[in-house]
Amino acid sequence: MNFVFRMAGREMRASWRRLVFFFICVAIGVAAIVALRSVVQNIRATLVQEAKTLTAADVIVQSDRPWDDGTRAIMDQSLAAFPVTARTESIETMTMTAPADEDKEIATMIELRALQPAFPLYGDLVLESGRPYSHHLLENRGALVRPELLTRLGIQVGDGVAIGGQVYTVRDVIVKEPGQPLGVFRFGPRVLVDYDDLVRSELLGVGGRVRYQVLLRTDEASIDPLIGTLTEALRREYVSVRSYRETGDQLGRRLGRAEDYLSLVGFVIVILGGIGIWSVVGVFMRRKLKSIAILKCVGASTKQIFGVYLIQVVGLGLGGSVLGLGLAHLAVESVPPGVVVGLSMEGYGITWSAVLQGVGIGVLVSVLFSLIPLMESRRIKPLLLLRQQMDRPAASGKQTGRLGTIDVWELAAAGAVLIALIALASWQAGDFEVGLMVTTSFAVVAVVLHLTGMLLVRAIEPLGRKGSFPFRHAVLGLSRPGNQTRMILLAVGLGTFFILGTRGIEANLLEQFRMELEDDAPDMFLVDLQPDQVTPAEERLMSLGAREVRMVPVLRARVTGVQGRDVTLQGYEEVREERRLRREFTVTYRDHLEANERILEGRFWDPTPSSEAEVSIEDDFQEDVGIQVGDMMRFDILGREVGARVTSIRDVEWDDARNGGFMFVFRPGALANAPHTFLGFVKAPLDSLARAKLQRDIVAEFPNVSIVDLRDILLTLHGVVEKLALAVTLVGAIALISGVMILVGSVAMTKFQRQYEASILRTLGASGKTVRRMVLLEYGTLGALAGTVGGLGAPLLTWVLCEHLFDVPWQPNLAWSLYAIPLTALGVTIVGMATTLDILRNKPLAILRAE
Amino acid sequence: MIELKDVSKIVTSGSEQLTILDTLNLNVPSGQFLSVVGPSGSGKSTLLGLIAGLDAPSAGSVIIDGEDLTALDEDRLARLRGDKIGFVFQFFHLIPSLTAYENVLVPMELAEAPRPAEKAHRLLDEVGLSDRKHHYPSQLSGGEQQRVAIARALANDPAILLADEPTGNLDSANGRHIIDLLVDVHRKRKTTIVLATHDAALAARGNVILTLRGGQVDSLREISGDKETRAKPRVTASSPS
Repeated sequence: MNFVFRMAGREMRASWRRLVFFFICVAIGVAAIVALRSVVQNIRATLVQEAKTLTAADVIVQSDRPWDDGTRAIMDQSLAAFPVTARTESIETMTMTAPADEDKEIATMIELRALQPAFPLYGDLVLESGRPYSHHLLENRGALVRPELLTRLGIQVGDGVAIGGQVYTVRDVIVKEPGQPLGVFRFGPRVLVDYDDLVRSELLGVGGRVRYQVLLRTDEASIDPLIGTLTEALRREYVSVRSYRETGDQLGRRLGRAEDYLSLVGFVIVILGGIGIWSVVGVFMRRKLKSIAILKCVGASTKQIFGVYLIQVVGLGLGGSVLGLGLAHLAVESVPPGVVVGLSMEGYGITWSAVLQGVGIGVLVSVLFSLIPLMESRRIKPLLLLRQQMDRPAASGKQTGRLGTIDVWELAAAGAVLIALIALASWQAGDFEVGLMVTTSFAVVAVVLHLTGMLLVRAIEPLGRKGSFPFRHAVLGLSRPGNQTRMILLAVGLGTFFILGTRGIEANLLEQFRMELEDDAPDMFLVDLQPDQVTPAEERLMSLGAREVRMVPVLRARVTGVQGRDVTLQGYEEVREERRLRREFTVTYRDHLEANERILEGRFWDPTPSSEAEVSIEDDFQEDVGIQVGDMMRFDILGREVGARVTSIRDVEWDDARNGGFMFVFRPGALANAPHTFLGFVKAPLDSLARAKLQRDIVAEFPNVSIVDLRDILLTLHGVVEKLALAVTLVGAIALISGVMILVGSVAMTKFQRQYEASILRTLGASGKTVRRMVLLEYGTLGALAGTVGGLGAPLLTWVLCEHLFDVPWQPNLAWSLYAIPLTALGVTIVGMATTLDILRNKPLAILRAE
Repeated sequence: MIELKDVSKIVTSGSEQLTILDTLNLNVPSGQFLSVVGPSGSGKSTLLGLIAGLDAPSAGSVIIDGEDLTALDEDRLARLRGDKIGFVFQFFHLIPSLTAYENVLVPMELAEAPRPAEKAHRLLDEVGLSDRKHHYPSQLSGGEQQRVAIARALANDPAILLADEPTGNLDSANGRHIIDLLVDVHRKRKTTIVLATHDAALAARGNVILTLRGGQVDSLREISGDKETRAKPRVTASSPS
């Protein structure tokens, strides 16, 4: 064993220069994994740590209906058994606001939250003025607002804003707020007001989307039993109970997905590096034939020799990984997460878990990809020392033993390597199926490339006797035994495949975020119109320049039971078990189908109203829940129980939701007396001043109404998308650069192969031009083939990842694949020429002597 | 010490079969210095390769120190070579990435011999390379490289030393130096030596000259050696015809 280590050490002293590229392959891959994972882990750690602050409480009890006395009594009774050290309530709702100054013709939607004095139970509310937050700031119609509101309304601290028919004075600006809503998207800037002020206003009328919350502080040990008790006690009420930990978990999960994706990208870069490693080790072993034969001749066993080179591989893998850590550190330092996600955090840097994973994968991939070329050492026979054929082992008898042929052991090793790679990919992607698919698609492309290589060699062999000298030698170059044709095809082909694949995914992901507004669609929505406001609002809107107005009745309903052929759900408790049914739905009634709807089964009712309730359901409920035409469903519509027979099943084209999409549509008549509001679909004036005035005037006249301006939202969304696009592009750029470097490297590696031959040809009188033309033809053919296979395989990878990891619709981009073919051919030729120029500059004798 | 029984070596080249060694019987007792001569392609190198277990015979058996090589796998053969056989090649075959000293060290490390460093230094001193121990093969002349190769071949005190045209790549002065070294080794260490050469003058430095022609024994001629060698069992060799 001692010998093995010492020998490995000595060999490495001499060979590390030849293996520099090995080093780089590992380093790039490890750097990618460590950097990508670290960034996400940092963000995740920061957010999860702050989960308590994000929630502002240990436990939140939330309902979208006001607390009635019964519910309160149950809650109080349940809480009595627990050490609740603080309790406060808040109300959240979306509404409109406008400057109190009536000359300013503008209005905007806000996310309003009303607080009691004990808020926040955790975290600090930081204000721009620097003074500590106190509830006094809110009392007597004070408001704290996010800075965006000031800019949007053109007002400043001290000015008044109208909310729900009351005027509040802006007392300060919020810098940091505990209990802020999660996610990147918001309907509007946050405004904080006093709880009692809001309760006294007319804002909390019928139908609005309001969340009533009770925030609790207790000790850590009581959280779980408290949640259990409350959930059990309130199971008949429409109440949710959750702890701050769930917020953290939810965030963690969401970011975990991102981490897994980025890790998978990193891992694929490592695989690409692995292919580079394979090619390096293959060439390296060829050059080590003599040393291995000598070692065998002086008494080294196959195992010892294998050990000598395996240790070198592990050593280089480790070294490359360390270099990779350095690169990752630089990368992470130079791109702080603030650039991408707008978060500032302490202790930001590469994380230990990422370092361990990166180094582990770096070494593992080094070993896995070296295994098969290393195994060729077994086949090297010391006999070749008696012959002068150093270019290939065991040339005697039937055992032509070319490097590149595969025996049973190597097949077994290849199988083991494949399984190990699938395991690694699954681990990195956090999903076995995805790991399996990514590895399989790589393997499929690799096999196709291998077969293409074989076919190519077979097909062009006869051409080696025809044509010009450079042509014949290029052909011979491609088909000579033990050459790098297949290796280059594999490395370049897979590289192209991967680069195109990630770019495809990038494009598909970005496509997903892109939302374009059609001019002819409603672009403004009025929410919470009361029935008596419908006609005046319609008239007012038209007079303010709206191009079209349509009012749709909406009701908020929960499913409380299903009595059907295939499925029976008794009461809300059983309905809750059904994931698809447990939320609150916005439903409507009408006498016609919209353009984006189609009846799949049953019959849509006549336009005549009917007192017997009928409902048309979206086809998902048939597919997922098993509700059929003829089944009876029961709904709770703001406290009223309504039974309805399912008379049809509809397909809704959700992408075309110009007229809104509803899961449940009722037959007019039965719901006329249920409490409901109206939703206005408005084609607002295109001119922005007119739009602002329209919003302003509507809010002034109907203070309870919220206006959602789609054009505003799109602007916000574009900002978010830009950040996302930057993040995705960064990842894509890392992949692209790594891929190109590895490609260049694997082509350059074959230089040693060519050097000797080119020197002999030149000694024999071939001109530089002849050699160059030879190389041009040889590499050009290889590049074009690799580009073709890789380019045509890439959509496969994109498809797999889009369908199975991201759940986004897949759109192939064949144009890129077509560009890839000439580009790859060109790239490979340039690199091939560049390395050959070096040969041409050197005197042939120097190279011949060195051999 | 070295025994070949009905050994043939046939290789297939394309569709043709080529007989390199034809049913050869050879017995080289311990302590003999056998020179094998013959024109190119007469089977000299193949014979040495078979004795070293570098190659397997197509028929017959090769017995070294009572052990039948044809029954051993590659790793056992490697160990046997490490213990009992030193090999000197025409093209030196030093490991290019190791210094002269390390090249000598390797076989001892493989055999886990005690105090390898000390012995490596002594061997290099013996072949006259005291001042070039830490040079790489590429920094040594051909003669020097071959001396390192001899030092390496002697590292584990092998009972048998095989030398395949050891002077073939050297000028005559360096060649003579190498043969002197081999003769010296034979005399002092009592090592059994088989030397393949096509130089008649060099061949005459051994005790017995075996001439091969077309894979068969052409002649076997003893040279009047010293008293000690004459007292030893004789080398015998035969081919069918």
